[in-house]
Amino acid sequence: EREREGEREREREREEREREGEGEGERGEREREGERGRERERERERGREGEREREREREGEGERGREREGEREREREREREGERERGREGERERGREREGEKERGREKERGREREGEREREREIERERERERESEESEVRPESLSPEELEMLKEAVYERKKLVQGLRGKPWPMKEKLVTLRESQEFVEKYEGALGKGKGRKIYAYKVMMSKKWMKFQRDFENFKTACIPWEMKIKEIESHFGSSVASYFIFLRWMYGINMILFCLTFGLVMVPEALMGRPYGTIPRKTVPRAEAASAMDFAVLWDFGGYAQYSVLFYGYYNNQRAIGWLKFRMPLSYFLVGVGTVAYSYMVVIRTMARNANESGVGDDNSFNFSWKMFTSWDYLIGNPETADNKFASITTSFKEAILEEQESCKDDNIHLTRFLRVLANFLVLCCLAGSGYLIYFVVRRSQKFALEGLETHTWWERNEVNMVMSLLGMFCPMLFDVISALENYHPRVALQWQLGRIFALFLGNLYTFIIALMDEINLKREEEKIIKFNITMWEASLYNATGSENSTALPVTFHPADVPRGPCWETMVGQEFVRLIISDTMTTYITLLIGDFLRAVLVRFLNYCWCWDLEAGFPSYSEFDVSGNVLGLIFNQGMIWMGAFYAPCLPALNVLRLHVSMYLQCWAVMCCNVPQERVFKASGSNNFYMAMLLVILFLSTLPAIYTIVTIPPSFDCGPFSGKKRMFDVIQETLESDFPAWFSKVFSYASNPGLVLPFILLMVLAIYYLQSTSKSYKEANVDLKKKLQTVPETRLSFFSHLAPLLLLLCAFGYTGIKFAV
Amino acid sequence: SSALMVSPAIALAFIPLLLTIIIRCRYYFVLFYRAVLVRIWKDCVTGLSREERAYQYVLTHATPGDPDSILDAFDVWCSKVEFISNIGPKKGKILDRLLMEQSPLTVLELGAHCGYSTVRIARSLPLGARLYSLEMDARNAAIAEKIIRLAGFDDDTVELIVNPSDEVIPLLRSDYGLERLDFVFMDHWKKCYLPDLQMLEGSGLLRKGSMIVADNVLFPGAPKFLRYIRKSGLYEWKVHRATLEYSKGIRDGMAELVYQGIK
Repeated sequence: EREREGEREREREREEREREGEGEGERGEREREGERGRERERERERGREGEREREREREGEGERGREREGEREREREREREGERERGREGERERGREREGEKERGREKERGREREGEREREREIERERERERESEESEVRPESLSPEELEMLKEAVYERKKLVQGLRGKPWPMKEKLVTLRESQEFVEKYEGALGKGKGRKIYAYKVMMSKKWMKFQRDFENFKTACIPWEMKIKEIESHFGSSVASYFIFLRWMYGINMILFCLTFGLVMVPEALMGRPYGTIPRKTVPRAEAASAMDFAVLWDFGGYAQYSVLFYGYYNNQRAIGWLKFRMPLSYFLVGVGTVAYSYMVVIRTMARNANESGVGDDNSFNFSWKMFTSWDYLIGNPETADNKFASITTSFKEAILEEQESCKDDNIHLTRFLRVLANFLVLCCLAGSGYLIYFVVRRSQKFALEGLETHTWWERNEVNMVMSLLGMFCPMLFDVISALENYHPRVALQWQLGRIFALFLGNLYTFIIALMDEINLKREEEKIIKFNITMWEASLYNATGSENSTALPVTFHPADVPRGPCWETMVGQEFVRLIISDTMTTYITLLIGDFLRAVLVRFLNYCWCWDLEAGFPSYSEFDVSGNVLGLIFNQGMIWMGAFYAPCLPALNVLRLHVSMYLQCWAVMCCNVPQERVFKASGSNNFYMAMLLVILFLSTLPAIYTIVTIPPSFDCGPFSGKKRMFDVIQETLESDFPAWFSKVFSYASNPGLVLPFILLMVLAIYYLQSTSKSYKEANVDLKKKLQTVPETRLSFFSHLAPLLLLLCAFGYTGIKFAV
Repeated sequence: SSALMVSPAIALAFIPLLLTIIIRCRYYFVLFYRAVLVRIWKDCVTGLSREERAYQYVLTHATPGDPDSILDAFDVWCSKVEFISNIGPKKGKILDRLLMEQSPLTVLELGAHCGYSTVRIARSLPLGARLYSLEMDARNAAIAEKIIRLAGFDDDTVELIVNPSDEVIPLLRSDYGLERLDFVFMDHWKKCYLPDLQMLEGSGLLRKGSMIVADNVLFPGAPKFLRYIRKSGLYEWKVHRATLEYSKGIRDGMAELVYQGIK
């Protein structure tokens, strides 16, 4: 390339010489041309003088000029942003250039042209100097002859083209920059002169508008950033605490978005239509508070437990009627209820998987182990930190991580402590397992006890005993992770690995708790169903007795109408399940907030103000301020979401509650983090952890839809409450709709399509497609890894070859030469 | 059962918290046991003070005239037998390094206790240097005197002053004829760090480049002292992070201040 450069340089010089000769010739010609030519020349000069004047003016307007500069800069930046694409284009171009000699020739020609232009400019400058004393009057570019104008136009066009294609040119950067600046100046200078009169004005207007447009676009970008909710808050936290803490808040915001959509679905398609168009409160038994509960239905304690009026409202499954179409819209309520229930889950699956796929693309292939020190050296800084204290911490943590890595390297070379480490890790896992088993047993015990209490009647027991299950679950969920954290100090893992272990353990704990809860709930459902059978029998007896009492006189007339509050009714297990989940969510939220206030805020206040009169340093010493617990918070969020997915079918109010909760916790936690937490001592990057969260979310989604689907599919709905009452199974609503709302052929097609003979091959096809896609992606990944390896190795060897061998070869040559000389 | 407010299951749920606290604070519990319980028990059993017991051990286990063996004997006793809050071997190394770099001629030590740190400083002083060591408690000072002489340092090298620091510091210039202090080591009452520092500033003995080293600024801790040096722009300072002497898990620090004077 250097050779080629040299060639080009030489050629350019030759060309310059030629051009100079030509220029002189031209001047001679022009002189010979006589008066007209000189006059035109002078006029042109005057025009140029005017241009210069204008330029000076432009320079005078410093601000605008600077602004323009800034804009140009920004433009360049934007160009840089689009670098990849253009780079690819440039690559292609370069390849093409290399391929064809003709192409190179053309390139040279273009270079020559550029040189010519530069030369012409220089000439103009010289002439300007010569005729500086000439009259200074306003001369417009109309005075230019059409040919010259054409030439100028062409030159400007050429410059523009040059600027556009500059990126792909195989020149050194210095030359590129110089050319870019020159041609931009040229374009700026002469473009204005091209239009005539009206055209010029339009041109100026166009330029102005384009600038305005650019400014608007920039402002719009800023506006768009400002529109992202909580962006500034999260950025601030990121600057103080590093990306691992920020990743939690980003996750929280993402979760908020999803819940917003779930809320819109349930609120808009289920709750509002029922409230507006369904039969009003008090018309039928399922929409009325029973007589026995009516006295206490408005008490706060009852409402807080979601009983009373809260239970008999749109918030819960039992309130909905099984009327097929409601209101003047003929809104298919049961169908809508079912489809929304399925749709929320389907939407969640879609979103989680799509996000996972996108993240997987970003993360690429990385092996952390092979170039440990290089990774540490070049990638350990978190560029988002903007706070000096955090930067200090980060600096310290990088230093310690280097020390640790060096120590680790030495340890691995020594390899003697491996048995101890292994033993400690096994011990830690054993302890964690013990803890998990203990907590599981405790919850099982508590659930059993609560069932006993329920059989005895809840009124005889204290508040503590009634809320035992929730309390124990919340407390265990709060304290066990702390214990795990302490135990994990034994294992001596890298913080990122340690975080994943910690997450896994807390995950197991929460999952165990949740499933114990669900099993207990299943038992309760079965109890309720037994109860329901008895009540159903009693009701038929009751109706029969009524019928006998009245029907003896007139069999066709309706019996005495009862107030709906007096009609006996079944236990409605669906509402019970919904209530349980709502209560769980509420108690969980309360625990989270109280922990936040006591564990973080109160502790911070105590540490801060008791420090004035304490015998040791509370801030730097033992209690200190708390760190933000990323793993615990993320898992809390994930499990909370799992409970929402599980319970949303039986309590349509759950997404609304969750949106509220997330909204509050966003503000509360942002405040708490900035106010009472200190940056983690071992700050680490959390770039890869997002997908880990997503994977956990997916698992939880699956595990939480499992029981929900199980109950929907296997347990028949209650006979006197909810949108599916009177049906054998909840999903019968689909069949009903197909039969009554669609034409006959459609249901026929549907029945054919749902034939196992068609479904099975389809599933087989899908499995094959998945297998195919998976194998291709695997091969792509391998290819990627290979290419990466090549990228890593090839330049190295080439570089080292040249840098090491070239001087050696030179030396050898020199020695050989001297040797030959001596010999001669 | 209604008298029992909280059900046993809820109480059981607090066990993980209890375990966490016990594990987190185990070093403090151990320290409490060794520094307080064992001390009280031994005091009752032997009838001697802790320092006297330490002196007996050192006398029987160390070579007279050899500061290193005396220090080693102290370290063994403090880590194996009982606990005395000397500066300890790890932080002592930092102190040694600072003394080597500084090679001070006039050194002031606040709080000699039983002479461990005095011996430690004295052995790494250059020729002709003089160490003034302050101890408030007369019994401790007697033991410190014995230890110092046992290590082989005479009156010209180490001068032990039995008085509280707030009385001695104003008299240093007049009674002891000191012009300047090159090095000050603080290891006495943590509450006295700040007033003594201010007194030293007021006495005019500190010059540009004088070094002040304060032990135990994080545990038991001298928060006011740290806050003061952070605020007053008189010092270039840093805290050497280490662990508490003869204990692995308790974080402690040693503050190193270099007096810059008023700029």
